[in-house]
Amino acid sequence: MGKVMTTADAIQKFVADGEFLFIGGYICRPPFAAIHEIIRQKKRDLTITRSNAADDFDMLIGAGCVKRFIGTFISLGLYGLARCYRRSIEKGIPHKIELEEYTNLSLPLMLMAGALGMPFVPVKDMVGTDLMNIKSFMGDNKYKMIKSPFDGSPVMLVPALRPDVAIIHVQQADEDGNAQMWGIGGDCKWGANAARKVIVSCERIVSRETIGKDPSRTIVPSFKVVAVTEEPFGAHPGYTPGFYDADLSYGYLYKEASNTVEGFQAFLDEWVFGQKDRTEYVNHYIQKFGYAQYKKLQAKFDYGYPVSYAY
Amino acid sequence: MSNHPDNYIKPELMACCGAREIKDGDIVVVGTGFPAMSANIARYTHAPDAMLMQESGVFDARPARPALSVGDPCLNPGAAMIGGLTDVMGMFLQGGWVDVGFLAGSQIDKYGNINTTVIGDYEQPKSRLPGSGGANPIGSLARRVLIIALHNARTLTEKVDFITTPGYLDGPGARERWGLPPDTGPQVIITNKAVMRFDKETKEAYLESYHPGTTVDEVVKLTPWELKVSEDVHETEPPRAEEIRVIREVIDPHRMIQIYEKRGYV
Repeated sequence: MGKVMTTADAIQKFVADGEFLFIGGYICRPPFAAIHEIIRQKKRDLTITRSNAADDFDMLIGAGCVKRFIGTFISLGLYGLARCYRRSIEKGIPHKIELEEYTNLSLPLMLMAGALGMPFVPVKDMVGTDLMNIKSFMGDNKYKMIKSPFDGSPVMLVPALRPDVAIIHVQQADEDGNAQMWGIGGDCKWGANAARKVIVSCERIVSRETIGKDPSRTIVPSFKVVAVTEEPFGAHPGYTPGFYDADLSYGYLYKEASNTVEGFQAFLDEWVFGQKDRTEYVNHYIQKFGYAQYKKLQAKFDYGYPVSYAY
Repeated sequence: MSNHPDNYIKPELMACCGAREIKDGDIVVVGTGFPAMSANIARYTHAPDAMLMQESGVFDARPARPALSVGDPCLNPGAAMIGGLTDVMGMFLQGGWVDVGFLAGSQIDKYGNINTTVIGDYEQPKSRLPGSGGANPIGSLARRVLIIALHNARTLTEKVDFITTPGYLDGPGARERWGLPPDTGPQVIITNKAVMRFDKETKEAYLESYHPGTTVDEVVKLTPWELKVSEDVHETEPPRAEEIRVIREVIDPHRMIQIYEKRGYV
């Protein structure tokens, strides 16, 4: 059965209310086309996870899609605190999400443990701090302190995470889902491989032969992938190395809009509910801000030495 | 130009204070702003072999402009190595390779504990902050942690509302009891008024030097805990001509550092 489909079909088929999602990205390659589709399809009660979350998670929270967040950090980067997230936690708007907090060391290692089929993993951070004193829906299973069976020293164990679905945006994939990524990785590779199924959003679909020209770049193999969606400019306003830059002025627009509930709603109406898909979104962007601004974001080419795997 | 030109701004002085803490050959985990600035001043002056990495997975980046975040696109081209969080935070930091980490926070106490989680009660917060991110592991595992702070009674506090990142926790021996690696922990708090260093015995921050334009008395008054003063307390050395040249000509020709003046670093 073919895996290439629209993002709308992929989200409808493979993301159910109440499921646990890993959503890749690190300013670099947030899968925004899929994020918007999740909001359009009004998915509910999701548990979402990633280290260093940003505007994409803030939007999902503000849109009411999220019940639980296993996180480490969330902000709008340059533009400060995440507004929807704050409203949820401080004022219960649209509802108070449940929060389990880790760090940028422990959470990626929990995803790594999930990917490697390990039940848990020892970590050296978090000890002695108030991160030990806050436990939410994971309760006493947030972590365990043990004495090392080897030398008796105190060791913190944190559980493996196995998300139901991972959604990642990469530079290129083939029709079977072999997904290739380059540039800042965040926890994308472990998060994708920890999940039971993976939705790959990509800038371009390439041939299996192209994938084979540089197989070391593949971060997820085809057999884990259930859907491949081609979404050029799909990470905007985040960036994709080799394709386009981060869009700081759009980031500012989101910050201003999300300052208020009404502004946030109007933003969703314009950029999410008002657009059928990513193609319409890009057209709307060009219409509103002009082709010059769109073009300015596009990356120049700067190829390195071509790799050869010949023998 | 004299050895110490007097036309510097306070953020430049603070960046230089940070740079002087970095030794040649150090492996430094940097964020954006001050940390990146300090580490680069060091690289271009006394520590050419200091090596920088970003938690997002980048080692030895060669950005064409100052990075605005640790995931900034400009960190990609030219870097010596790019991986992910488990590479930098796992292989390098937890693996014990990182000498210096830079941290900031909304609240910092006399033991160098840092709060970036919440102001007020955790369940009923006055203000919800971003959370740990990479701060807790850096504070837990880097050999020397440098803390950047605004010198006022809101940021500096007797006791933080929430310990996101460990300094010396509740005092001598606490880090060891929790199994944190030996000989790690905060070294200095660099503020817009002073440099405070941590006492080897009591683990409390004491006044080492006050910046030009302020006095010991003023710094003590602005500090909400009973600030001990070093016997050889002195004025902070202002930026040297060479440091200023590096900042303005090499690292930050567009003077992005001025944004910190607007944020109160004056």
